[in-house]
Amino acid sequence: MATTDDGTGHWFGADGQVSQLRGTLFKLSCLGATLLALGLVFVFLLYVFNDAIRPASADTGWLLTVGGATVLPAAALAVYYYRRDTRAGEVAYTAFGLPIVTTLLAGGVLIVFRDIITAHEWLAFVVAAAIAYAVVALHRRVRSNSATALERAAIAVLVPVLAIIGVPGFSVDRSIQTPLLGQELFTLSVSVPSLVPSLRGLILAQPALPIPPLSLLLAFTIPIAAAAAWHIRRVRECDRDAAIAGGATVAVAGLGLIAAPLVGLPTTAWVVMTTVVGIPVGLYVESVFRRREGVTGLAFPVVIAFGAALAFAVVETLGFAGPNLWLDWSFLMSGHNTTPREAGIYPALVGSVMMLIVVSVAAFPIGVGAAVYLEEYAPSQGHLSSVVELIEINIANLAGVPSVVYGVLGLALFVRGIGMQAGIVVVGGLTIALLILPIVIVSAQEAIRGVPDSMRQASYGMGATKWQTVRNVVLPRAMPGILTGTILALGRAIGETAPLLMIGAAAVVRVPPDTFFSLFSAMPRQIYSWSRLIDADFRYGVLAAGVVTLLVVLLMLNGTAIVLRNKYQRQE
Amino acid sequence: MSTDSIAADLTGSVDGRIAKERLYHWLLFGCAALTVIVTGSIVVTLAVDAITFFRQVNVVAFLTGTEWESSRDTFGVLPLVTATLIVTVISALVAIPIGTAAAVYLSEYASDRARSVLKPALEILAGIPTVVYGYLALVYLTPWLRTAGLELSLFNLLSASIMVGIMIIPMVSSISEDAMSAVPDSLREAGYGLGATKFEVSTGVVIPAAVSGILSSYILALSRAIGETMIVVMAGGMQARMLDVTNPFANLFSSGQTMTAAMVHAVTSDATGGTPEFYSMFAIGLTLFFITFAMNLLSNRIAARYREEYQ
Repeated sequence: MATTDDGTGHWFGADGQVSQLRGTLFKLSCLGATLLALGLVFVFLLYVFNDAIRPASADTGWLLTVGGATVLPAAALAVYYYRRDTRAGEVAYTAFGLPIVTTLLAGGVLIVFRDIITAHEWLAFVVAAAIAYAVVALHRRVRSNSATALERAAIAVLVPVLAIIGVPGFSVDRSIQTPLLGQELFTLSVSVPSLVPSLRGLILAQPALPIPPLSLLLAFTIPIAAAAAWHIRRVRECDRDAAIAGGATVAVAGLGLIAAPLVGLPTTAWVVMTTVVGIPVGLYVESVFRRREGVTGLAFPVVIAFGAALAFAVVETLGFAGPNLWLDWSFLMSGHNTTPREAGIYPALVGSVMMLIVVSVAAFPIGVGAAVYLEEYAPSQGHLSSVVELIEINIANLAGVPSVVYGVLGLALFVRGIGMQAGIVVVGGLTIALLILPIVIVSAQEAIRGVPDSMRQASYGMGATKWQTVRNVVLPRAMPGILTGTILALGRAIGETAPLLMIGAAAVVRVPPDTFFSLFSAMPRQIYSWSRLIDADFRYGVLAAGVVTLLVVLLMLNGTAIVLRNKYQRQE
Repeated sequence: MSTDSIAADLTGSVDGRIAKERLYHWLLFGCAALTVIVTGSIVVTLAVDAITFFRQVNVVAFLTGTEWESSRDTFGVLPLVTATLIVTVISALVAIPIGTAAAVYLSEYASDRARSVLKPALEILAGIPTVVYGYLALVYLTPWLRTAGLELSLFNLLSASIMVGIMIIPMVSSISEDAMSAVPDSLREAGYGLGATKFEVSTGVVIPAAVSGILSSYILALSRAIGETMIVVMAGGMQARMLDVTNPFANLFSSGQTMTAAMVHAVTSDATGGTPEFYSMFAIGLTLFFITFAMNLLSNRIAARYREEYQ
């Protein structure tokens, strides 16, 4: 045995000689390695932040004011929470982080409504979807006993399709070739005009639609406020509170129609901000008060906000100059420019958001479906079991294939195979969706495995079928775990660069993409093209600002996933 | 919402219900089977274009050539392979000692509280995009090493490989830590019962017992290092250079081109669809796919063997 000392025949070392020094040295070197790994990257990141924000370029007065008004009180409170009330500490950090995360999310939503889908299109979509849902539900109720399965299925498929897509016209014009050899067989040229317009299209064609902010209020705020009110009704078991919560949200958002122009904010931004930031924060504060645990933690964000306002007032009156940032509002809101000071990341930011939409729409359903099959349906015997085993091994290996190979796959499959244009959003999104699919599947499998078997058996005991059990018992229970895994995978997706290079994402895009079929650039792609520039201002300033933007978005995604996982684990 | 839909389904026709169940079964199977289709299409698409490449370039010349000069249509893959090997070896030298030691600390020495901070912190490191690591290597690490007295060129393989090593530390440490934590406590207690110290138990019991898990983490990390693209593209440069056996430091200190970097070069340079340079990308991609696929398979095998041991 390796564990026996051959020389003495004793179990490790000579009798009575226990060296403490060796053990201590070993322990210290292990600790040192851990800290070295963390410390190295931490030091690098400090340098990046320093280059992007340049605190040394601010007046001493500015630094003292900001430090005294916000950093000191925050640190004092943090020490208090750490020593006296750890539960309040958790509340404090969540209450501080939640508005920041939701503000970023609101920024993403604003980008969507600004560059991807207009408020009117969204209104038409929501109304059409609601009508389709109502028709299907009505049909179920009216003909619940006499309808055949075929009829029900037909209604359930046809009505939503007619409402949202209609029967679109299409035209095909390409030559059919034999696979691999490329000999031309015949040319196919068909053109069908649009047959039935969709309900969505009909609504959109109305001459008098409500103004954009009002449309958002109707189709965006009201559904979310209704969901929040429904949640309040369930947890408080009180209709009045629910009505107050929902009504107040809509009222505050609606107030923006009048108040926003007075304050000087865009009305749309007001509506989106109050909805996306206000509702989650309100629900969290409500839950803290309801549980009556760590209520003092809520003071933390309030103190910091007051401190920031105070510091702002003092700095304005005394005329201290702030740091000369690279990462400022104009960097976030403008496109690439050959002058470093004018350069910005906005088009790449929009490109990343649109790409993430494609990635999640493509990878989430397929990944969860595959995980459900492998965990719930896959046979352990019979002729299919070897196929299942092959799939399992294959997924594990796909997770380790280099991302650059996925890039080549995307290029070969979507650009050269199907003939889509190189470098458009859909191609980038689908390529990266293939890349993160194995990660989504593996994490969803773990989440589904965590659902206790007794719950499945209880469901079967009630006479439910397999699919009913999966849909009503397994998936709702596993959903937090699945979401955690998916968010982490999306974090991976947002940082991937090599596949984007391979599918030909643009190095420089001056206008954000406006459809899913336009050319795009993404944040990491933009960072890479800046790194090719020799100019020191680009290399140390603009590049650092871009890296910080990317890291902040990524930390938010990963932080949300970790919070979700902790919360979920505590409930177990 | 679920109550009335279940009631409706239960009173509905049995045939319809069975058909529906079967439909969902095959739909979900299709999702799972898609992963096999993805693998298949990777192989097929890469192979088809690699064949086009080998029609234009001799296979033997490709495999044994020591010069890669795409502008002069000289395609010998060995310079790319040796550069990849250099990166892999150096990054392993960085990542394996640090990663293993970190895993030992987390699994054997760290208190619960320290672990609850250190482990997520390491996980966050794993989530940093590689383009950021490439930026750090190019803009900070290379100048640091230069001030430390090394004569590096602006793009060099040394700082690229060190950064790749730093990038794969979390992978080594988290998988090894899982393997060490899975070693049953009874083995440790037996060690202590024989009068062993904590150091002796860690190095003499826990590490040998978890060795297959640790090895599999090394192989996975190396496969990641082989396939890493952005760090070597940004910090390592784009100049293919054959390994000079008599003076390996010359290669380390100057710029070099790995296999992944050559693929990026092929697609971002001016090479258009039909040129051999464009098709060379598929040949390298195929090689890379098989290398990493084989390594992952090996690592899974080793890890699976270890898993059976203690259950």
